[in-house]
Amino acid sequence: MTAAGIVVGTIIGMALLLWVVNLVRQDRLYAGYGVIFVFGTIAAMAILVVPPLLRLATAASVALLPVPSLSLVALVILTFLMVYVFIQISTLSNRVMKLTQELAIRNAQQQHRAESTADRPR
Amino acid sequence: MMSTVTGHRTLVAIPAYNEAATIRNVVERVRQNLPDCDLLVVNDGSSDATAAMLDGTGATVVVHLCNLGYSRAIQTAMLYAERAGYDRLVTLDADGQHDPAQVRALLTEFDTGRWDVLIGSRYVVSRRYTGAPFGRRLGMRVFSSLVRLMAGRRVYDTTSGLKVVGRQTFAPLTSWQFIDFHAEALVYLMWLDFRIGEFPITVEERQHGTTMYSALSLIKYPLKTALMVVLGVVQANLTRRRHS
Repeated sequence: MTAAGIVVGTIIGMALLLWVVNLVRQDRLYAGYGVIFVFGTIAAMAILVVPPLLRLATAASVALLPVPSLSLVALVILTFLMVYVFIQISTLSNRVMKLTQELAIRNAQQQHRAESTADRPR
Repeated sequence: MMSTVTGHRTLVAIPAYNEAATIRNVVERVRQNLPDCDLLVVNDGSSDATAAMLDGTGATVVVHLCNLGYSRAIQTAMLYAERAGYDRLVTLDADGQHDPAQVRALLTEFDTGRWDVLIGSRYVVSRRYTGAPFGRRLGMRVFSSLVRLMAGRRVYDTTSGLKVVGRQTFAPLTSWQFIDFHAEALVYLMWLDFRIGEFPITVEERQHGTTMYSALSLIKYPLKTALMVVLGVVQANLTRRRHS
């Protein structure tokens, strides 16, 4: 990897990290998904920046040469798209969760009120 | 609605997911030992006979139509307690590990006014994690150290399900996501200047069912918690800045 490639990769990785961490903090991305992106990005950045790790990853994937830059660009786009999809899943999941909690509490309050009315002497 | 002899309204909440084997016994023991407290069971989308076992027990039951997980079940109990005007919430595990008879001592300590959250702790006296399996012991040590590192104070039993939670903490604990109300919630509260205390308790071995932690969660859970602990510090600081 060239020096320019390492710099660009690091900037993209840091941007992705900050974006994901902020999404989790804002409760817009479920922490379980966030953790996958955070540690995945850190691992990818480490492979990119540390030459022996890149050589190891290349050998482990039974390739002769590291992946071309174009593949890396595709990977970055795919990762950003995945984060977007997981934001939508988290949003839906949060809505279902709030609805479920609200329904549960209202039903219990109604049940409680009905029981209190029934217990009251006429 | 009842209240305790101290004039505080107390709600005992038991989150239950597929605990048909133990839930009725736990509810009966709570009613025997804490007759002056109201009781709420959060049936977290159980697919077994948990709902049927609760019939006729006199407990108020909140039913999640699908399984939301432990932290969301606790948040539901807090939202219920907040809306119904309770002063404090006691959380107990549904598997029968906690003896409801020990809650009275916890409430007495809580009534001293020194704490906003009081944890029923298995390790505060011995300060050794003996008796637990190796993985759990390691996790306890790591999380306890993480709390000390991030909040400056050690909490020996970060994963205890027996807690007394004061009304003043309901709002911060229901307005953000938490993993299991363990280390991440404690650090978050400490950074918001809430007072967290530990009180010695003993626990019984789980007789039925399995733990809520799967094999995969042995890897996922510490990573998620570590991330949320760090984010909790950031979030608490932003909240404080917004309020000041």
